[in-house]
Amino acid sequence: MPIGDRDGVVDFCSPVKIARLNLSLAILTAKGANALEWFWIKLAAPPRGFFLALACLVAGIPLAYSTEVPPQSMAEAVSICRELSRASGTNGQAEMAAKADQIARLPAEWLTPCLVAFRDATPAGANWLRSGLERAADQFSDRLPLEELATLVGNATQSPRGRSLAFVWLKSQDRARADGLLDTLLDDPSLDLRRQAVEKLLASAGGKEQAAKKQTYRRGLAAARDIDQIEQIIAWLAEHGEQVDVAEVLGFVRQWRVSEAFDNAKGIGFEKTYPPQTGELARPDTSGWKVVASTDKHGTIDLNAALETKKGVLAYAVATVEMPRAGTAQVRIGSPCAVAVWVNGLPVMAHEIYHASEAVDQYIATADFCVGTNNIMVKCCQNEQTEPWAIDWKFQLRICDPLGSPLATQLKRAGDE
Amino acid sequence: MAAFGMAGFAFFCAGASCLSTVSGTGWAGAADPSEWPEFRGGFGRGAADDETIRSHWSGTEGIAWKVDLPGKGASSPIVVGNLVILTASSGAREDQLHILALDKETGRTRWQRTFWATGRTLCHPTSAVAAGTPASDGRRIVALYSSCDLVAVDLEGRLLWQRNLAIEHPRSGNDVGMGSSPRIIDDTVVVQIDCQGDAFASGMDSATGADRWSVSRAKIASWASPLAVTTPSHGACVLLQNPLGLELRQAKSGSLVWSWKGECAGIPLTAESGGILYVPSDGIAAIAPMAQEAKPIWRSTKLSCGIASPLAWGNSIACINRAGVLGIANATDGRLRGQIRLAGSFWASPILVGNVIVAVNKEGKTFLVSVDDEPTIVAENQLPGTFTATPAVAGGSLYLRSDSLLWKVAAP
Repeated sequence: MPIGDRDGVVDFCSPVKIARLNLSLAILTAKGANALEWFWIKLAAPPRGFFLALACLVAGIPLAYSTEVPPQSMAEAVSICRELSRASGTNGQAEMAAKADQIARLPAEWLTPCLVAFRDATPAGANWLRSGLERAADQFSDRLPLEELATLVGNATQSPRGRSLAFVWLKSQDRARADGLLDTLLDDPSLDLRRQAVEKLLASAGGKEQAAKKQTYRRGLAAARDIDQIEQIIAWLAEHGEQVDVAEVLGFVRQWRVSEAFDNAKGIGFEKTYPPQTGELARPDTSGWKVVASTDKHGTIDLNAALETKKGVLAYAVATVEMPRAGTAQVRIGSPCAVAVWVNGLPVMAHEIYHASEAVDQYIATADFCVGTNNIMVKCCQNEQTEPWAIDWKFQLRICDPLGSPLATQLKRAGDE
Repeated sequence: MAAFGMAGFAFFCAGASCLSTVSGTGWAGAADPSEWPEFRGGFGRGAADDETIRSHWSGTEGIAWKVDLPGKGASSPIVVGNLVILTASSGAREDQLHILALDKETGRTRWQRTFWATGRTLCHPTSAVAAGTPASDGRRIVALYSSCDLVAVDLEGRLLWQRNLAIEHPRSGNDVGMGSSPRIIDDTVVVQIDCQGDAFASGMDSATGADRWSVSRAKIASWASPLAVTTPSHGACVLLQNPLGLELRQAKSGSLVWSWKGECAGIPLTAESGGILYVPSDGIAAIAPMAQEAKPIWRSTKLSCGIASPLAWGNSIACINRAGVLGIANATDGRLRGQIRLAGSFWASPILVGNVIVAVNKEGKTFLVSVDDEPTIVAENQLPGTFTATPAVAGGSLYLRSDSLLWKVAAP
């Protein structure tokens, strides 16, 4: 059995107990200082080295854990939080755990400045920081600094994660105040806060008359970025006589030119370079390509319908989109088949996964776009599975900012319907 | 059916006990009846041999407590010391990963830790981001989520280490949802990430999270969990199953000890009893680990598993098939001893409590089936909700997780 409190055996590795041990040692050291001085003077010179080494060793044990002492100033606390926020997921874990222990003992009034450290946090760092701060907040369930937390929630220039945590803590103590803040967060860069703001807005429509209610839902639609919330709003509007084009709202690229089918028996085609990848046949005016326009609410391009149902094949699809400005944007694709995407001839992503689910925005990658016309090419590969659920050969794609706001508009080329 | 008959079985059992008596997990000593430390309990056997549980309960009767959960999950609760540990996920993107520690006696939340997912959180509606059951060695709790985030906390909820495996292996994961549970074997946390992308298995130091070993695996999806196995010649080992076969590796070094190529199921997990592996495949195949002979000792197509893993104990093996029929067969030759039709579909694996099989269907009905002789339903107890998590039993209490609640059925 492991050594631990459960067995009634003291666990000397517990940080709390180490801290208590340090304190005890410090008291003992102070009380015995005079005696030690006398002993040191009386001690013959040669053994002094041994005792000095022993003393250093004994002193070194608690010193090795001195990082678990709580920060002595707010600046030190923020500095430790920034170190935590930069953590990698593999190295220095014990050091990070010790720093999180320090943060877990922060006074309540330092919590809000420490939430700012979520800005630029690594994925692992965000979790280290959160683990320490949430433990600290647990101690102050009725004494959190509500004013400062509310200010942070309202500051859209700060990290969405830090602000979301601040909102949760604020709401745990003052629900009305937290809910009141949501009125200002409809266009928030935090998807979590924005979602809650939209929820509140829609809930507020309950008592309104029909025209005002519709107006509220339209406002909600403009603000919403989560697919389920958008579809919920559009469904409500449809029920009340207002048809909204889902694909248009979500910004799916719907006009494509699709190549003939190429061989993908035993999956050989995914890595193989067929002529469209060389640019040779990527021009939409080349023969062998057909225009396909999606009428699906998710902009799905059904290759079985376009090219007839086949197994062990692949096809390319190309589209032209117009971007309002140059810069990076997210390419978001969903497909039950293996897919690869190029933007302006440069590879963006490749996922060799067959028939393991499909969702809108399933795969997301960032690509560089130029202002004006940009070319997108998708390679969509079908395998040879014969199960009924493995028949689908399709994809849908949209181009968005990091929040999911559509960025691209589509140009129709001559001959496109 | 019996391929070798009794004589052959005796020979293989003798060989197995000599070469590779499969006996237990890294959980030191005998299984503590007051604890249920990992998926399917102590030793991963799914059995609490000396326990007795209440025979009748309902939403209003025989319940010690019930607790609202902070999110979704298909993971089982585990019981460690005075804590009941559970995982869940929440948020619009299911990217809030929770570990919840409840007081075993009162159900009161002792602590809750939440982490952001760093990997993919897409999931089929029937699964969940918190599908893998956490594991504990009595000092630490490790939890693995579908996002391939692996976190270790101590019993006070202090984060000890984390591994963001989807960042380390960018093409790992599965949008149906990963379901494999971690195991702690010989102070090594073993994870099995079987998928069409970067498939791998790793062993990590349970104290630090540092890699002890990592091996690539076939690019094929599987939801099986590592199984702890001890062999006299190789010590603590881990059995890894995917649809292409089995691998036995030393837990601490990852060295390959034995492998078997043959069809295996992708979801239900192999059961072990008396040194023999009962492998869900096309029916059940009884395999002697370490044997050079690739042919199973016996194979029975009359026993078949749906989603739920088989249960093996003594001279018996039990399976629940996709039609909800519980079959019990002789472990020696695969001969079917009896069948009984339960009702509904079963995602949770059955467990054995004393001489009773506890089987919870998705619709919330728990069947208690006596296995003394012919399988007989001795009780049926209905709770509201959807149940896909395998139950846990500790100290005479049964823990049942629905889609929104954790129920503790009071000890008799």
